[in-house]
Amino acid sequence: MKTSGDKIELLRGTLDLLILRTLLLGPAHGHQIAKHIQRNTDDVLQVEHGSLYPALHRMERKGWLASKWASGEGKRELKYYRLTAQGKKQLVVEELKWKQVVNAIARVPVQAES
Amino acid sequence: MSSWKRLKEFGPWSRARLERDLEREIQNHLAYEAQESGDRRALGNIALVKEDVREAWGWARLEQFARDIHFGWRQVRRNPSFSAIAIGTLALGIGGVAAVFSAVDAVLIRPLPYAGAERLVTLWDDLSMSRTGEPKIASTPFEWIQWRRLNTVFTDLALTQPGQATLTDTGEPEQLPARKATWNLCRVLGVQPMLGRAFSEDEDTKSVRVAMISYGLWQRRFNGSPDVIGRKITLNDNPYEVIGVMPRGFYFVPARDTDVWLPASFPAWMRTSPAWHDAHIVARLKPGVTLEHARASMRALSMQVTAKDFRGPHSAMIIPLRAELAGDTRTELIVLLCASAALLLIACVNLANLLLSRSSVRRREVAVRAAIGAGRGRLIAQFLTESLVLSVLGASVGLMLALPAMRFLESLTPESMGAVRLTLDWRVVAISAAAAIGSALTYGLAPALGGSRLALLDGLREGARGSTGARSHWFQHSLIVVEVALAVVLLTCGALLLQTLHHLRQLDLGVRSEKLLTFESPLFRYQDFGKRVAFVEAELEKIRAIPGVINAGAASRIPMTDDGQATFYKLAGQSNDATPDQVALFRIVSGDYLTVIGAQLREGRFFGPSDRRSGAPAVIVNESFAKRNFPGRSALGARFQFGEINDTGYWYTIVGVVKEIRERSVRKDLGPAVYLLHEQTDQWSTSGAQPIAIVVRTAVEPTSLVPEIRQAIWSVDNNQPIARVQTIQEIFDRQLFTQSQSTALLGAFALLALLLASIGLYGVISYGVTQRTNEIGVRMALGATSRDILFRFGRRGLALTLAGLAMGLALSLGAVRLMTALIYGFQPNHAIAGTVVSVILLAVATVACLVPARRAARLDPVVALKHE
Repeated sequence: MKTSGDKIELLRGTLDLLILRTLLLGPAHGHQIAKHIQRNTDDVLQVEHGSLYPALHRMERKGWLASKWASGEGKRELKYYRLTAQGKKQLVVEELKWKQVVNAIARVPVQAES
Repeated sequence: MSSWKRLKEFGPWSRARLERDLEREIQNHLAYEAQESGDRRALGNIALVKEDVREAWGWARLEQFARDIHFGWRQVRRNPSFSAIAIGTLALGIGGVAAVFSAVDAVLIRPLPYAGAERLVTLWDDLSMSRTGEPKIASTPFEWIQWRRLNTVFTDLALTQPGQATLTDTGEPEQLPARKATWNLCRVLGVQPMLGRAFSEDEDTKSVRVAMISYGLWQRRFNGSPDVIGRKITLNDNPYEVIGVMPRGFYFVPARDTDVWLPASFPAWMRTSPAWHDAHIVARLKPGVTLEHARASMRALSMQVTAKDFRGPHSAMIIPLRAELAGDTRTELIVLLCASAALLLIACVNLANLLLSRSSVRRREVAVRAAIGAGRGRLIAQFLTESLVLSVLGASVGLMLALPAMRFLESLTPESMGAVRLTLDWRVVAISAAAAIGSALTYGLAPALGGSRLALLDGLREGARGSTGARSHWFQHSLIVVEVALAVVLLTCGALLLQTLHHLRQLDLGVRSEKLLTFESPLFRYQDFGKRVAFVEAELEKIRAIPGVINAGAASRIPMTDDGQATFYKLAGQSNDATPDQVALFRIVSGDYLTVIGAQLREGRFFGPSDRRSGAPAVIVNESFAKRNFPGRSALGARFQFGEINDTGYWYTIVGVVKEIRERSVRKDLGPAVYLLHEQTDQWSTSGAQPIAIVVRTAVEPTSLVPEIRQAIWSVDNNQPIARVQTIQEIFDRQLFTQSQSTALLGAFALLALLLASIGLYGVISYGVTQRTNEIGVRMALGATSRDILFRFGRRGLALTLAGLAMGLALSLGAVRLMTALIYGFQPNHAIAGTVVSVILLAVATVACLVPARRAARLDPVVALKHE
């Protein structure tokens, strides 16, 4: 159910990186973040709400994100998340970790599929 | 996030805000989703998302735990009968462990009132390899002097000896429990007098009359006045200067209530006598010296020191002070602790079974929880929390039950230790908490694992009853077998202890114990032999004149109280070499003594008017003496030499043989003993063996005559104290007291175990009947009779019982080995114990199985078939 078609389940830990990258562009609320990730990966990466909100709350607790309630488009009050200074530092760390992962995977020889 | 902010969030107000915000945030998200795709499919499980978010908040676990506790509490209240059984069972188990542990703590764990007590050891002579064969006897001052000079393993050794102190200052004369001690006792023990000082080496060696007194005596006789230091008191008719008061609560082997400490000041002959065994030696191990090393070293040293002993060289024995103080109580307590742990285990097994049975009842509830998003870990956590709630309640009730049990256990603490008051201190509470948590895990885990698996497997399927049965039945059945086996072990141990106690109660003491009063009246004022004989005769005469007294006699020791006063003897015609393994207890008695205590004459005669001071020395021996020395022939008329074995010693002629009197103690082996007439013992007058013990046979309640007896003695000498007034029956009861207490306690544990095991058996069979009601209906419809059904269910229960019985009997063989120290040389009959236990168990188990089996047999097949 979680992986269907060509949609890829997020690698553990990459969600944090994606959220941090998204918020580098400016404050956003949860749904925007999810949509942004989905759009920018051509729908390849789909963010489950089940993991998005726990991740947001966890990162807020760690001090990487700050939040505030503000009226968005329409009459609704929405919870907007933004990067903190600490969060920007964390983004650098996460980027580094990600590169390591990618490099590591690249070094594993690929067997051609017939 | 700062911890302050975190703390603020924990409050219910901010918590509610957080929850509200989360709800809003998620609703917003859903609204967007709905706008886009028109359905909520992508939403997943809102409750689960929320749960995960809460977990991200950090304190979710704690909160979940609180909610589980709350839920557990509701479960407890919802099923009062189940909860009552569970809590009651646990209370018995945990209460038992808590009570026994409090005694174990007091006797075996709590620090002793000496500095660095773990390095203190006691030393004893081990004569088992010498010709006398005593495995453990008191050491000698001679050895103390030598060991102190030559040993390499102790920083120092101190010595105490029996002493006596009659205080005659003002008021009534009082006989005080006293010990003599070498000057370094306080230094070795690391204890300082709370007032004043200890003896100096000079005072000890020069026999200066100084004394240290106990805190109790200081309060009682001197009103706790500090100017007692330096005061002169009259002890044994001599002036002594009080130089120190021992700290409150100070005690030392062998008795907790020593009131006076006097310098040992050995006479010259004692310093060189290799056979004066009356010294208790305590020593402090040097830092870094292990017990094993000290043992080896002292064995060798002792062999060297006693090389010239005429009995042959002998070894020394080292016993840590703690073990010496605890004595047999240690084994008793360990047995009781094991028993209480076994009971707790039975209680846990019982509860595990009950919970397993219930988990199928709760299957639907669990399935619903699983369906709305509870993971397996979550379910297990919840089950365990429920168990914990039960356990904590059980432990609380258990601690209440433990209090009266602790009063009972206080009496089990050894004589040599300070008076013990058992209390619910933090250690007992901690051990109960540990027992509660441990038991919750023990009985809660299987049902929790089973219950959560069940939920995931069966989901909400209807009528899934019975399909997963085989495996859980197997598990439940093995639990029952274990439970029955444990109960059998406890019952068998209880039966063996009961046999031992019964055996001890039936022992022939060699005396008629009813209406026989005893007390002590010291004779130090009568050093002159003639005056002593006259005084003893006069006091006995006065006592006999009291209305209600039948007769009175005197002896050097009261029966069952002392294994001292023994010496070598030589039969006529033997060489001096024969004596080392010829040792007999001796008692110096008045002419009437053996008649007064009701000794049974086997041969010859008692002492009579013809046995005068000037007459031929006569002796009465016991049967052990006669059998050992004159096997197959009469001992009458035979002569032997007693005491100083040399050519000038006195010869005695045997005039009578009596059945053994238990002189040493109720439990100790009978051995050769001889009774000498006081008037004919003037050569003994320096040995300290004097007829200080008076026995009075009365026609009325013996203790009612004590005031008259006191007056009678004072009418002869008004400075004469009387001490240790007690009846023979009291002495006997006191010696069996701890034995009967621990037997009663173990018996109680065993009966509770039997009760719990039968409840468990009943529960399982009865659960099987409920579960298989449909099956029973089918069987009956197919022609099974109620007899068949009864047989079918009854048989299963009995099979489990038999399996448990077999396992328990096998295990109890091992358990009995642990208890041999409590069975005191008595060979209990295992076959009888095993048979009795089997019969009782089978009877109880049959009832426990038949009740539910009959219910099955009486089912109406129509109802049974329709049973949901």
